[in-house]
Amino acid sequence: MPYDLLLEAFAKVIFNPINLFFVFIGVVAGIIVGALPGLTATMGVALLIPFTFGLDPVHGLIMLVGLFSGGIYGGSISAILIGVPGTPSAAATVLDGFVMGKKGLAGKAIGMATIASFVGGTTGALVMTFCSPQLAKIALKFGPPEFFALAFFGLGIIITISGKSILKGLISGIFGLMITMIGFDPLSGVPRLTFGSTELLGGITFIPALIGLFGYSQVFQSIEKILTLPTVRSEVKNVLPSFQEVMSVLKTMIKSAFIGTFIGAVPGTGCDVAAFVSYGEARRSSKNPEKFGTGILEGVAAPEAGNNGATGGAMIPMLTLGVPGDAVTAVLMGALTIHGFQPGPLLFRDHPEIVYPVFAGMILAQFVMLLVGLGGVKLFASLINIDRRILTPIIFFLCVVGSYVMRFSFFDVGVSLVIGIIAYFMNYYGFPGSPILLALILGPMVEQNLRRSLLISHGDPMIFFTRPISAAFIIVGVLIIITSYYRIKRAMEREEKALKMEK
Amino acid sequence: MKKVDIGTGIGLIALSVWLFLYVGQYKPKEIYIYGPDFFPRILAVVMAFLSVCMIINALRGKSLPMGERIDPRGFGRLLISIGICLGYLYLIKTLGFASATFIFLFVLMTLLRQKGLPKRIFSALLTAILAWAIMRYFLIIPLPEGLLL
Repeated sequence: MPYDLLLEAFAKVIFNPINLFFVFIGVVAGIIVGALPGLTATMGVALLIPFTFGLDPVHGLIMLVGLFSGGIYGGSISAILIGVPGTPSAAATVLDGFVMGKKGLAGKAIGMATIASFVGGTTGALVMTFCSPQLAKIALKFGPPEFFALAFFGLGIIITISGKSILKGLISGIFGLMITMIGFDPLSGVPRLTFGSTELLGGITFIPALIGLFGYSQVFQSIEKILTLPTVRSEVKNVLPSFQEVMSVLKTMIKSAFIGTFIGAVPGTGCDVAAFVSYGEARRSSKNPEKFGTGILEGVAAPEAGNNGATGGAMIPMLTLGVPGDAVTAVLMGALTIHGFQPGPLLFRDHPEIVYPVFAGMILAQFVMLLVGLGGVKLFASLINIDRRILTPIIFFLCVVGSYVMRFSFFDVGVSLVIGIIAYFMNYYGFPGSPILLALILGPMVEQNLRRSLLISHGDPMIFFTRPISAAFIIVGVLIIITSYYRIKRAMEREEKALKMEK
Repeated sequence: MKKVDIGTGIGLIALSVWLFLYVGQYKPKEIYIYGPDFFPRILAVVMAFLSVCMIINALRGKSLPMGERIDPRGFGRLLISIGICLGYLYLIKTLGFASATFIFLFVLMTLLRQKGLPKRIFSALLTAILAWAIMRYFLIIPLPEGLLL
């Protein structure tokens, strides 16, 4: 572990007011995006990436990790105030947080969510800082078969992010892989599926696709439903939790933070799973499990420490292996690529000047989040009251500008709009968008390494099974696919039974 | 969602067949055993297989129940807003970024029935000027220029 590089990065990030400024902007933007129901951290990062092109890569990237942390925390604000999680990761916070809000204890619940998010986020960021370089060292020994197996393992995540229909998730994933076929073939340089268009030679670029999938599709839904959506109002009156109250849940927070970090590090799980598992474990190990769901601080602290712990955890596979832990890290991975850095083990060897400041920025973001969160509770709560009829056009505008600024191309705006329209219909007909994103990220890695491996082995596919690391990734990938399939199937059966009982 | 699944499945099979045949023109060069057509063809086969599975699922009555339906009035509003967006892209080149953005936001807010003319003008103007200033002076992004700002 090169501690000198780490210390140097910390000094560079923490003592430079410009870095602090960018972390601050990222965290505040993240809290705003997270607090507004319907806007996710994924969408926030996707919209911010194009605006980081003109910036120094370190500034841009620490702003994005700040947004990631702030966005996951921000989801708790609307979960507590109006019972609608701002992000899916705050769904577990609703269980006790909203009950506290109804009791007039919203301020205390948000205060506890802020402190727990800080504990979780800091734990996750520290684990990421100290574990990632070690993992990257191992990954340096990878060749094309290992990278193909890794990408296969990564694509296995599609099963877990497919929502209610695994089949439709897989179709979305294959559709995403088909999109990556457009443009120059990575090995022979032959232009594929470009139909004579010079604009398509470089392929469908990541940012317009991303904004189409997560920006336009949500804006379109919002425009369609805007006149029928109920108006919600929020209010925060009282104070933050006392020192004794914080200390009483400290053990739960630390345990949840580690659970969240571990879960976040497993590709395909994400912050929402981390929050629910942390909540479940806190409830299981509590002396008073029956009090969970009645509005207790522990019920807010556990999911919030868990989901923010998962932010650091999810960064580990993304940075070290080039496999994103969840949708937000998939977008962050795209951000790194766009700035000219390929996530994976070589990143640690070739660009330590980028990796270590990102670690430092992530830790710094937690402190900024704590201060901004505690100081601005009332302000952020009032954001929920912003009229959607003003907000939706502004987000629409940001989508247009975001898809334009990467190459200053109106063609990209058109591509983004078309993908947005497709994603809008996909949402209605049960085809999830996240597998497309994952496929866009991993597609080139899968194709290049599959063909390179087969070239090395003279066409023998056994190369993937005779090399131990490659074989291990494929076996673990298959196991994850099988277990996830049965887990989703069981959950759907339970849901069906519950629906029948209700009827 | 039975009809949608069957229709989408047929469409995707057609896409797969077309892709499989179309990429046949990308022949591998001598040094490569597996050429540019190799991976797209694998994808076409997998997509066709998954589409057949989806159609069979639908025919067996195992499609997911239709959730929320598209609101026809809302959909009309959405189509108009996409039209406004296309108009905005044209105006950016003729009027300039800030002026076109102001018009785009104002018209869209009006379409979404935002009450109060001064509020609409103020919100649209503030957003347009702020965005223009941030991109021009802070992020240093070259913006399209036209007759106005």
